[in-house]
Amino acid sequence: MSAANPPVEAAGALDAGVGQVRRELLHQLLHSKTFVIGAVIVIFWALCALLGSALAPHDPLGQNLLATNQRPSGAHWFGTDQLGRDVFSRVIAGARSILIVAPLATLIGTVLGTALGLAMGYLSGWTDTVASRIVEAVLALPVVIIAFLFVVALGPSPRTLTIVIGFVFTPLIARTVRSAVLSERELDYIAAARLRGERSPYIMFAEILPNVLQPILVEFTVRVGYAIFAVATLSFLGFGIQPPTADWGADISVNYAEITAGFWWETLFPALAIASLVVAVNLIADSISGVLEG
Amino acid sequence: MALYIAKRVGYALITLWILSLIVFFAGQVLPGDPARSILGQLAPQSAINALDHQLGVDRPLLTQYWDWITGFVHGDMGNSYQFRAPVEPYISAALQHSLKLAAVAFVIVVPISILGGVVAALNVGRAPDRIITVLGLSASTVPEFVSGIVVIIVFGIWLDVLPISASWSPGASIPDQVYHLILPSIPLVLILFGYIARMARAGTVEALDSDYARTAVLKGLPRGVVIRRHVLRNSLVPTVTVIATQTGYLIGGLVIVETLFNYQGIGLLIYKAAQEKDFPMLEAGVLSIGIVYMVATLIADFVYSMLNPRIRFGASE
Amino acid sequence: MDENQRRLDTIRGRRDEIENHVIDEFVAGRLSRGDFLRRGAVVGLSLPMMAAIVAACGGANSSSSASSGGAPGKPGGTIKAGIITPSGAIDPVTVLDQGGLDMLAQTGEYLCLANSKSQLVPVLAESWSANPAANVWTFKIRQGVKFHNGQPLTADDVVYTYKLQSDPKGKSNALSAFNGIIVPSGVEKVDDFTVAFHLTAPDANFPYVCSSENYNMIILPNNYDSSKWEGSFIGTGPFKLKSYTAKVGASFVRNEAYWGKKALPDATEFTFYDAQQPQILALEAGTIDVVGQFSVQGGQALLNNPKVTVISVRSSAHRELSMRNDQAPFTDPRVRQAVALTLARPDIVQGLFQGKAELGNDSPFAPVFASTDSSVPQRAQDLTKAKQLLQAAGHGSGFSTHLFTETTQEMPAFAQIVKSSAAKIGVDIALTIESPDQYYSKDWLSGIMSMVDYGHRSVPNLFLQAPLQSKGTWNAAHFKNSQYDTLSAQYIAALDLQSQRTVAGKIQNLLLEQTPVIYAYFYNYLAASASNVSGVEPTGIGHLFLFNASKA
Repeated sequence: MSAANPPVEAAGALDAGVGQVRRELLHQLLHSKTFVIGAVIVIFWALCALLGSALAPHDPLGQNLLATNQRPSGAHWFGTDQLGRDVFSRVIAGARSILIVAPLATLIGTVLGTALGLAMGYLSGWTDTVASRIVEAVLALPVVIIAFLFVVALGPSPRTLTIVIGFVFTPLIARTVRSAVLSERELDYIAAARLRGERSPYIMFAEILPNVLQPILVEFTVRVGYAIFAVATLSFLGFGIQPPTADWGADISVNYAEITAGFWWETLFPALAIASLVVAVNLIADSISGVLEG
Repeated sequence: MALYIAKRVGYALITLWILSLIVFFAGQVLPGDPARSILGQLAPQSAINALDHQLGVDRPLLTQYWDWITGFVHGDMGNSYQFRAPVEPYISAALQHSLKLAAVAFVIVVPISILGGVVAALNVGRAPDRIITVLGLSASTVPEFVSGIVVIIVFGIWLDVLPISASWSPGASIPDQVYHLILPSIPLVLILFGYIARMARAGTVEALDSDYARTAVLKGLPRGVVIRRHVLRNSLVPTVTVIATQTGYLIGGLVIVETLFNYQGIGLLIYKAAQEKDFPMLEAGVLSIGIVYMVATLIADFVYSMLNPRIRFGASE
Repeated sequence: MDENQRRLDTIRGRRDEIENHVIDEFVAGRLSRGDFLRRGAVVGLSLPMMAAIVAACGGANSSSSASSGGAPGKPGGTIKAGIITPSGAIDPVTVLDQGGLDMLAQTGEYLCLANSKSQLVPVLAESWSANPAANVWTFKIRQGVKFHNGQPLTADDVVYTYKLQSDPKGKSNALSAFNGIIVPSGVEKVDDFTVAFHLTAPDANFPYVCSSENYNMIILPNNYDSSKWEGSFIGTGPFKLKSYTAKVGASFVRNEAYWGKKALPDATEFTFYDAQQPQILALEAGTIDVVGQFSVQGGQALLNNPKVTVISVRSSAHRELSMRNDQAPFTDPRVRQAVALTLARPDIVQGLFQGKAELGNDSPFAPVFASTDSSVPQRAQDLTKAKQLLQAAGHGSGFSTHLFTETTQEMPAFAQIVKSSAAKIGVDIALTIESPDQYYSKDWLSGIMSMVDYGHRSVPNLFLQAPLQSKGTWNAAHFKNSQYDTLSAQYIAALDLQSQRTVAGKIQNLLLEQTPVIYAYFYNYLAASASNVSGVEPTGIGHLFLFNASKA
């Protein structure tokens, strides 16, 4: 399956002047419509996450037991939920946990996965064989079961979610990095470094890593999208942030059962929020990989 | 070739063994003890201890692991704590259920998404491409707990055209079973469509760009023939990979869909087993999913190798 | 009136002391008719007898008996029900969940049945009576009853079942109910159709322990291995097993050889569900006719649906919100009272249950219990007083604490209401809401604030003991109060309703003053059927009886 990974460009890109390359990339990105649309949506949600209740018209936690499950109206644009809280305000405030957990978890997975992938690809031999088997074994475990075990051990919280998703992503990213490294390690500059007597860690992190950064970056952006989906799903199962804090996945989970009673607004709006964020992140990921891979 | 297969199978067996270690020892983090879970919070401690002893969970972990894994290798999956009966019938029934649902979902989604991907690739950058890409992206982001409810309400209640429960009566015919699986498969189809279509599109774009496709066009072959003969075949390559990697999700990860449609699949079975500390059920279930995943991966590897003319057996693994 | 008095005296002349006491209380007007019917059944007065007494006392309508349901439906057809998946093997000894007890009671029968009005109805026992000390209870077993395999029911079967389930060395789930009341050696066969129970302590409510309330106690054939029950579902009931598939469902057919009124449906089919939502959808789509139980949370679709009949049973099911009486700041009763005073209970009953619940008054004495002293004033929201109490206790600026609870039904929503209510007096509560398994194994008895679920009981005895007595095993509040221990022991030993009510009043006032645990509401047991289906009979404890059900 390794061969399905994107081709890796030859070494030497660094010599061209990092700053100039970056400016060039940014320029190309800003001229891509998909990137701009994606970025605008993500920035919007990031603002919601940062400012939260300052933007919200009502207190996201303010209950009114005598006005539960109210339809959308002028006073409550997205209606109220089963405790009479303003759904619009909760959607705004709910951006926070997901926007912290998803990128952070992806970052952890990427860092660990990169280190593991570098080691597997460069050291090869027994290290690679053993690590590959472990990676395969972890990938064969259903995510829900992994998450459940972590939640039992660590308790439900955004921190647990971050660890779970980081843990699940590590082998996935390691596999990508490993195959990128496999094609690098046969190249001349590695042989040269070995001849110079460089130690393995130096070769891995100082020589190979800069040359496999591109597929890692692409992998990272794509993974953020999956991370958002994963956070929403695990929050839905009650593994994430605890009530009453607003959270899209958790809010859907407590309210979706009432769709049959006609209270669709309590589920639809958080669901749209999740969808818009994943689509936006995917648009960005698409444009970045398009630009990087030409 | 034989050596390659032997090596891959050997690797798969080692992976399964590691999986068995992980699931066995990770399962130990679950709090409380199995007897308490069976007899309830109200049972006296003496009864708990007696049952724990009877179940054998008071023995050293390594002994328990050895007994379990040797039994498993000899085809004895152990006895469920919760149901006090062999787990094997539960696992095989649930696994069959899950495989049926996965099969129905694939049968629907694979042709649609490959078609979508190829159409998008033939129109790169133009409206059909954009529409298919955005639709696929959006469809795959709607959580299955939302799409599931919506299809139940629309098709099962408003229109009343499809059964909303995936559990058919005993002895139902195959077409009847498929009929029951249409609604539950829709959320899966939505999620997989974007993913597979994207891969099919990428494969097709790459194939269209390739030397052999260009050569074929230069040779004067009609566009349709080139697409059928070369491009389609190559667009299938990444698709096969996706199918293999998604099998794990389809077999083990459908807890929510299975709950919603009251379907006794293996995802739900092991999730409940984990909650109820039914270790033998959990362990056997996870290992069974692992076996399915390994087999799917192996098959995908072979199919991949056969479909893709540029890969040779024995290449650095 | 003279005529009536004479009839009454005739009846009294043939009754024993405990029974006459109940009759006297009713005649003196200290018992309402409903309470009399309930109480009379416990001490062994038959329904026709009580009807005669009611009539003798000028009761207008002597036909208002304990049997529920309207016009009888027509026989035939198949009734399809959805219930929660049984959590384990269907073994009468170990079943401890609603799905499991539902299965037991489809084919099995109890000595007597606690119906949806908490009244005892004779089933396999024809009658029962106690000695004056209420520590020996004698049950007359019905004659002419046959198990599904043709074997006749005798006292041996009853003795075997009770010895099996009360064995302290066994694993019976019924042990918690038998604990301190009866041991195997106390179960005695008097003759082929009489069984005597020699209790280890007097218990005026013992028949409830022999009823469907103690749901494991279906009568098994003598020497039957209970772990094989799942293969036969053997019992004496109006239905026989046709097929059972673990985790999927079960089907039953009418028992044509049934001793009593034959079941109306030809057959019943049960489908197991892991969640409420698919059951509701299945009922709306017509896949099933009956939903065995649903909660208002997630079940509002049924409450507002004209095509659905909601069956609502008053119950004593509730949540106990404990505060650690041995940990600061809850060591001070004023702090506990202050938290209790923040709750707007009528709003909670409306918001969480659409009114299908009754107010709790911070004691386990639910309005549904006959012994509850309804003259004790109801606690209402009073934020001013709450703040004053906190101030007096030295916490004027509030404090932070932590509440642990389960993901069951409305409990997460209620926990959030508690949090937001307490915030109004400066008390900041962090919430941990976890799966029931995790909650019970980690935080139930140790959490500084902890909220747990209690199911319905027809009498409060269980609620008064383990959760509140100093040595109680489920005392999550760590409440240690010798006055309470004395009063609760007195209550349980009290033989007549009037003295029970007097002690109840004292306990209610003591608990209001101490507030070790907040009891905010007692919610109704809800089941639902399609509107063309009648005669579905749930009990507050979770049974679903379909023998009177019919489809129009």
